[in-house]
Amino acid sequence: MSDKNKKKNKNKAEQERKEDMKRLREERKSSIQRAATMVKTQRKDLKVLMKQMGSESATAPELAQATGMDVAQVIWYLATLKQYGEVVEGAKNGSYFTYKLVVKEPEEAVA
Amino acid sequence: MTDGQTITCDALVVGGGIAGLQSALDLADQDFSVVIIEKDLSIGGKMIRLSKVFPTLDCSSCITTPKMASAAHHKNITIYTWCDLKELTSNKGSVRARVTQKPRYVDQDKCIGCRKCEYSCPVYVPDPEQGGFCATKAIRIPFSNAIPQTAALDPESCMLCGKCEKICPTGAVDYFQKPFDFTIEATTTILSTGFEMTTIEGKPQYGDGKVPNVVTALQMERLLAPHGPYNRVLRPSDGMEPDSIAFVQCAGSRDKSMGIPYCSRFCCMYAIKQAMLLSGALPLADIYIYYMDIRAFGKGYEQFYQTAKAMGIGFIKGKVGRIEEAENGSVAVRFEAQDGTGVTTENHDLVVLSLGVLPDWSPEGICSVSTAEDHFIQTVQPSIGPTLTSRQGIFVAGAASGPKDIVDSISEAGAAAMEASNYIIAQGK
Ligand SMILES: Cc1cc2nc3c(=O)[nH]c(=O)nc-3n(C[C@H](O)[C@H](O)[C@H](O)COP(=O)(O)OP(=O)(O)OC[C@H]3O[C@@H](n4cnc5c(N)ncnc54)[C@H](O)[C@@H]3O)c2cc1C
Ligand code: SF4
Ligand code: SF4
Repeated sequence: MSDKNKKKNKNKAEQERKEDMKRLREERKSSIQRAATMVKTQRKDLKVLMKQMGSESATAPELAQATGMDVAQVIWYLATLKQYGEVVEGAKNGSYFTYKLVVKEPEEAVA
Repeated sequence: MTDGQTITCDALVVGGGIAGLQSALDLADQDFSVVIIEKDLSIGGKMIRLSKVFPTLDCSSCITTPKMASAAHHKNITIYTWCDLKELTSNKGSVRARVTQKPRYVDQDKCIGCRKCEYSCPVYVPDPEQGGFCATKAIRIPFSNAIPQTAALDPESCMLCGKCEKICPTGAVDYFQKPFDFTIEATTTILSTGFEMTTIEGKPQYGDGKVPNVVTALQMERLLAPHGPYNRVLRPSDGMEPDSIAFVQCAGSRDKSMGIPYCSRFCCMYAIKQAMLLSGALPLADIYIYYMDIRAFGKGYEQFYQTAKAMGIGFIKGKVGRIEEAENGSVAVRFEAQDGTGVTTENHDLVVLSLGVLPDWSPEGICSVSTAEDHFIQTVQPSIGPTLTSRQGIFVAGAASGPKDIVDSISEAGAAAMEASNYIIAQGK
C-alpha cells in the first residue's frame, strides 16, 4: 500500500473513531453529566482542603472547622488521599490523628 | 474467549469463593478439567475481604491468596470473572451453562495491572472494597490482592475524559466493549455461590442505616485489615479513635420480623474474633458484645470465647431494642439486660451490627435445583450426603446451602469434589 493510501486509511479510522466516541458520549449523556458534576464538587473540596493543609499537620475536626466542610467528608477525603499517596498520617492529638500533605516533586504529582 | 464460543470441561464450578476454589483445586489435582465462573471482578469470595480468621487468628489473605493463585495458575483450571450465569441445565450426565461475559471496558489480555489508569482518572467513587470509608476511581484494579489483577471501568461513574486510555501503556482500555454470551458444557457442576448479608437499612429500630458510626461486621473487617481504609480503627464520622465499641448480635438473624428466623452460625464467633482484634489494636478501649446466647460450637470455639472473656471483653446478655444517634457522634444502644437490671441505655463510640445471612444467588429461573424454606440450596441427604442437591450431577458446597464457617465450607468443598469426581468417572468420562 502506498504512503498516500496508508495516510488516507489512517485518517478514515480516526474519523470513524471520533464518530463512535460522539455516539458513545450521547448514549451515556446522563451518567457523564452526573460524573462531571461530582468531579466538579470533588475538585473544589480538595482544593479547599489541600490549601488549608498547606505544610501544617491537622486533624479531621480541625480541618472541618477551618474549611466549613462536614467532618465525615473530610476524613473520607483524607483516607482517600492517603490511599493514593498524597497525604500521610502524623502524630496523635488527643483522640485524633493528624494528617499532612506529601510534598512531591512537580513530575511526581499525579493528575 | 469469543462471542458464541462453547467451552467443554469435566466440571463447572459456579462461584470462586473459598469453597469453589477448594473444590476446583481438588478436582484439578485429580486431572479433571475445571472451569470456574465468578460473578465478581475477582475470585476469593468473602474470605479474601476478611482481616484475620477465628479461631486461629491467622491472616485471612495469607491463606486465601495462595489458594487463589494456585487456582489461577493450575493447568487444569480456567477462570472467568465478571460473569453472569443465565441458564444452567442438566441432562443425562452432562450440564450446559449459558453465561454472559460482562464488559470491563479493559482488555484482560492486554492489561498488566500497572494502575496507571487508576491514578490518572479524575473521578473519585466510594470504594465498596473498603466499606465505602474511602474512595477508589471510576477505573481501578478492584483491590490490591484481586485475581485477576485487571482494571475495570465503571461506566456509571466515567466522564469519558479519555485520560485512562491515553496513559495506558498497553492500549488495554476499550470504551466500546460489549457483553457477550458463551456456553460451557461439562459433565458435572458444583454450586458454591456463597452468602450475602442483610442490609443495614433493613431495620428501623436499628436506625435504618442513618445513624453515624453504626457499621456492619464486614465493614469492621476492613477497619481491622492492615490495608484497610485508615490502616487503623477509626470511627467514620470524624476519624476519632473509639474508646467504646459494641457489637450487636442477631441484628437481622433469628428475627421473624425480618423474615430470617434462622441463626447465622458464624456471627457469634466473628464478633468475638473482632472484639479480640480490637482489644489488641486499641488496648484502652472498652469492648462489649450484646448477645442472646453465644453459639460457640466448633473445635476450639468455646476456648476462644473463654479467652475473650478473660481478656476483659464485656458480654452483655440482652436483646437490643433500639439504636439511636447520641451526642458528639456517639451511638445510644437501648437494651433489656437479662440479669434483672431491666431496660438500660449505653452510649458507645462505634457500634457493629452482626447482620443476617442470606443466599447470594437464587437458582430460580436459571437452574432447576430445589431450595429449602430458608431459600438456600436444598441438600437432599443432609446427614449422609450434605453436598447432594435435588438434581443428579449438580452438587453444592460451602455457604450456598446455608451459613457456614470457613472450616466447614472447605471440608464440604472437598466432599463435593469427591462426589463430582465419582460422578464423572461413573459417566465413563
Ligand atoms: C464479617 C464476617 C467475618 C467472618 N469471619 C470468619 C472467620 O474469622 N472464620 C471463619 O471460619 N468464617 C468467617 N466468616 C464466614 C466466611 O466468610 C464463610 O465461611 C466463607 O466465606 C464461605 O465461603 P463460600 O465460598 O461458601 O462463600 P463466599 O465467600 O460467599 O463465596 C461465594 C462466591 O460465589 C460468587 N457467586 C455468587 N453467586 C454467583 C453466581 N451466580 N455466579 C458466579 N459466582 C457467584 C460470589 O461472588 C463469591 O465470590 C465470616 C463472615 C463474615 C460475614
Ligand atoms: S475515561 Fe472515565 S475511567 Fe477513564 S480516566 Fe476518564 S473518567 Fe476515568
Ligand atoms: S488498563 Fe492499562 S493502565 Fe490500567 S492497569 Fe491495565 S495496563 Fe495499566
